[in-house]
Amino acid sequence: MLELKNVVKNFDNIKAVDGLSMMIEPGGIYGLLGPNGAGKSTTIRMIMGIIQPDDGEIMLFDEPFNEKAKEKIGYLPEERGLYRRMKVLDHLVFLGEIKGIKADVARKRAMEWLERVDLKDWADKNVDALSKGMQQKVQFISTILHDPELVILDEPFTGLDPINTQFLKDIVVDMKDHGKTIILSTHLMDQVEKLCEKICLINKGKKVLEGNLSDIKLDFSRNVISLGFSGDISALENHPEVEKVRSFGQDISITIKEGADTDSILRTAIDNGKVDRFEIGEMSLHDIFIAKVKEEGSEVEDEIIKNS
Amino acid sequence: MKLLKIAKREYLQRVKRKSFLIGTILGPVLMGVMIITPALIMSRGGQRQTRLAIADMSGSIYSELNAGLVDTLADGSMMFSLTQLKVGSQNEFEALKSGLNFQVSKDLIDGYLFIPQDIVTEGKAVFYGKRVGDIKSIERVKSELSHCVISKRLSSEGMDYSVVKNLIEKVDLKTIQLQKGEEKESNFDFLYFSSFIFIMMLYMTILMWGIAVERSIIEEKNNRIIEVLLSSVKPFDLLAGKILGVGSVGLTQYAIWGVFGIALSFYGVSMGGSVAKFSAFSPVTIIFFVVYYLLGFLFYSTMFAGIGAICNTDREAQQMQTPVVMALAFTIIIPMMIIQNPDGTFSTVISMIPFFTPIVMFMRINVLMPPMWQIALSIAIMLGSIYIAGQISAKIFRVGILMYGKRPDAREILKWLRRA
Repeated sequence: MLELKNVVKNFDNIKAVDGLSMMIEPGGIYGLLGPNGAGKSTTIRMIMGIIQPDDGEIMLFDEPFNEKAKEKIGYLPEERGLYRRMKVLDHLVFLGEIKGIKADVARKRAMEWLERVDLKDWADKNVDALSKGMQQKVQFISTILHDPELVILDEPFTGLDPINTQFLKDIVVDMKDHGKTIILSTHLMDQVEKLCEKICLINKGKKVLEGNLSDIKLDFSRNVISLGFSGDISALENHPEVEKVRSFGQDISITIKEGADTDSILRTAIDNGKVDRFEIGEMSLHDIFIAKVKEEGSEVEDEIIKNS
Repeated sequence: MKLLKIAKREYLQRVKRKSFLIGTILGPVLMGVMIITPALIMSRGGQRQTRLAIADMSGSIYSELNAGLVDTLADGSMMFSLTQLKVGSQNEFEALKSGLNFQVSKDLIDGYLFIPQDIVTEGKAVFYGKRVGDIKSIERVKSELSHCVISKRLSSEGMDYSVVKNLIEKVDLKTIQLQKGEEKESNFDFLYFSSFIFIMMLYMTILMWGIAVERSIIEEKNNRIIEVLLSSVKPFDLLAGKILGVGSVGLTQYAIWGVFGIALSFYGVSMGGSVAKFSAFSPVTIIFFVVYYLLGFLFYSTMFAGIGAICNTDREAQQMQTPVVMALAFTIIIPMMIIQNPDGTFSTVISMIPFFTPIVMFMRINVLMPPMWQIALSIAIMLGSIYIAGQISAKIFRVGILMYGKRPDAREILKWLRRA
């Protein structure tokens, strides 16, 4: 479906994308993950042919990029907007038409979608009469109106309320069930953990990790305990079989030594506070990312640890 | 063709707006008002009666002046109402002045005229008044006074004024413009006037719709729809579609004006107006008008588009577009030179510089049809320039359109041009 071979993009002297290779098979949801500034948007813009790579090759639908390919892709950019002074339905038809579908087909589908999201009565209203949440719905509809093979969503959840977040997730799952391919790019790694089957983690323009999410989790989760805990952490930190403790408030992640006695650690926790949850071997994607980046000897910026 | 979809949206969005209809109708109305109002004010300057007090030291002028100033206003009343002041000497007049000034300030009279004893020999008089700008009334008084004085001088030499007047009557020189060997009665004022209306229309529409392209690009950058568009169409199609759509709006506007114009001229004819005045807008003129609008619009809008692509706000764009607007504005400050010498070196050279061609060449055609090869050359130059401007603009557009934040400097733009 999509293949990137050693793609490089420089902006002035900054390497935005640095020799990135990726292979995306048809069908399923693919997570393109990484902190802000990792090069996700730049990569996507190159896939869409909006900017040209300095080096490397991008194959879309098994051929080099061509204008026709744009019609088979639905793209929701990170920076997205609508014409404010256009009627909702006219706007959707216009965006459908420039994706190569006929006006009457676009009109019919747009009405179906508007009905589905309870915006039917707004079809003849100007876009700027809509609330922000409604405009976001219209943007989603415009992205998939032409029934694309491949859908690329760049930071789709930014600025969404919980209802729209769920609505978008439903659409994504629905599309997957219909055999479409979805690329989900986001810095909110934990939010897509349950959606994606395959992921590619990138940092500073380079691939950190790629593969099936379940395999990756297995690989990384053997010596980690995830703990819901309130109490004295220092006792845990001093436990002889604990390698390291990281606290996120109530959520604590403990890295244990190879072959450690987890029961003994649980007992220490109970003796020193209250335990709500005790889980062996479930490491969050976010923790995996940081662990992996560190493993490669790169610095992890504080901001990423806190926010990513 | 996605280009056409872009053009269609751009066109419909503009034409459907109320502001388009209002602008299209109000434009010519405002222009008409701007042209007619000053003329109207000038011609109706003395719509009210002018009351003058006359201090006649010579003793013989007043009665003749009073007999001569018998003009009437539009409502049939007298234009002037004169009263004679009883003054025997200069000193007496000086004493009266403060009283007269008071009357003028209280608007009891409009002014007063002092006629010295020696007016026939010296030819000097003084007018005192508040509204010294009322040129029409003052000119009338002046000419009538001159008439009285001249006729006195003539009769003292034993001549009769009316006889002399006939003898010194000026020659009326009629100008006939020769076009392709055919005679055509010409009228400089009318030629200048009609040319000027046409070039003002060209200037305003090229500027207005050129800047509309620029603003539309800035709008798309600001509301962040640009990336969605670029994920569907090529940058070139987006740019060309925009220019095509907006340009068609201009043509639509002309069509509306054209229909109004024709209707108006028929009305004018039916009201007994002069057909000749309207026939000056011949079909050939109209065709060249449209051709040079299209050429000018394409050339300028392409440049405005490039400016739009590298600016983030209208204010930024206003700074950057100034040189381009000035180049266009230059053409509307030189029509006098072109009309006086339409086939001179200056006019010929200026009409071949792409920035000035659309308006200047059209003006030349309107005044004196230039040789066909010059017209062809000017069109070729324009097409070439549009191509070059398009190439440059498209490259700037491709790179600049996704840049937010800092506006690139000249060096950066050159880099884009080399790279793209």
